[in-house]
Amino acid sequence: MSARIDLKVETRHEELQRIFETVEKLAEEEDWPPALTFKTNLVLEEFGLNIMNYGFDEGIHTFDVSLTSSPDTITIEFVDDGRPFNPLEDASAPELDSAIQDRAIGGLGIHFVMEMTDDFQYRRENSRNHSTMVIRKSD
Amino acid sequence: MNVESRREGTSLVLKADGRVDGTNASEFQDAMKSEINESDRAVVLDLQDLTYISSAGLRVVLLIAKDLQRQGAKMAACSLSDPVREVFVISGFDKIIPIHDSQDSAIGALS
Repeated sequence: MSARIDLKVETRHEELQRIFETVEKLAEEEDWPPALTFKTNLVLEEFGLNIMNYGFDEGIHTFDVSLTSSPDTITIEFVDDGRPFNPLEDASAPELDSAIQDRAIGGLGIHFVMEMTDDFQYRRENSRNHSTMVIRKSD
Repeated sequence: MNVESRREGTSLVLKADGRVDGTNASEFQDAMKSEINESDRAVVLDLQDLTYISSAGLRVVLLIAKDLQRQGAKMAACSLSDPVREVFVISGFDKIIPIHDSQDSAIGALS
């Protein structure tokens, strides 16, 4: 059994609420442990916000998010026609060891996605970013 | 999300509950800031009832930590759930903000 949910999301921060509600509903239906719900929400928020904040120059754009829950894994796919962004190559690693006063504000979002997912794949196809990430349910 | 505060001895205890995400991080920042006085020298962030925090929320925690350091105050966090603790660890925040298992232990360490 697997469940798949497809969302069209606008580049407005309020859209996060709708994403969270979708996850909570699925989590409830499938009785996910709280840690899995947390992780899934975190990956969706951080990657979604990255597209909203940095993917486009201006204006409201729409991108696709799909969430597939299989017995052992959750697969999240983002498809957007924003500027090319391959997190595996283009994201700079945050400074994690600095003292409080030197610690940069921000730069953690993509780091969280990479830490919280068990697989990440990227391809650019037909002027779109396809970013696919997998979270294992048993962890 | 809600932030409650109380004073225990010389420590200010801020207890945050609910979710802190990209939609309400600025409210979280305002709520925390409004509870902290310039004369505070020890602040404990009790996160027992915090169910979710993303990088937007951690950014606020870092801003508060920077403010407190500037005013010569110490800060500690306590009672993190496992996923919240994981987020603190993967962001390296556990190295700049001491994490305690209980509020008593955090207050004790700061006084």
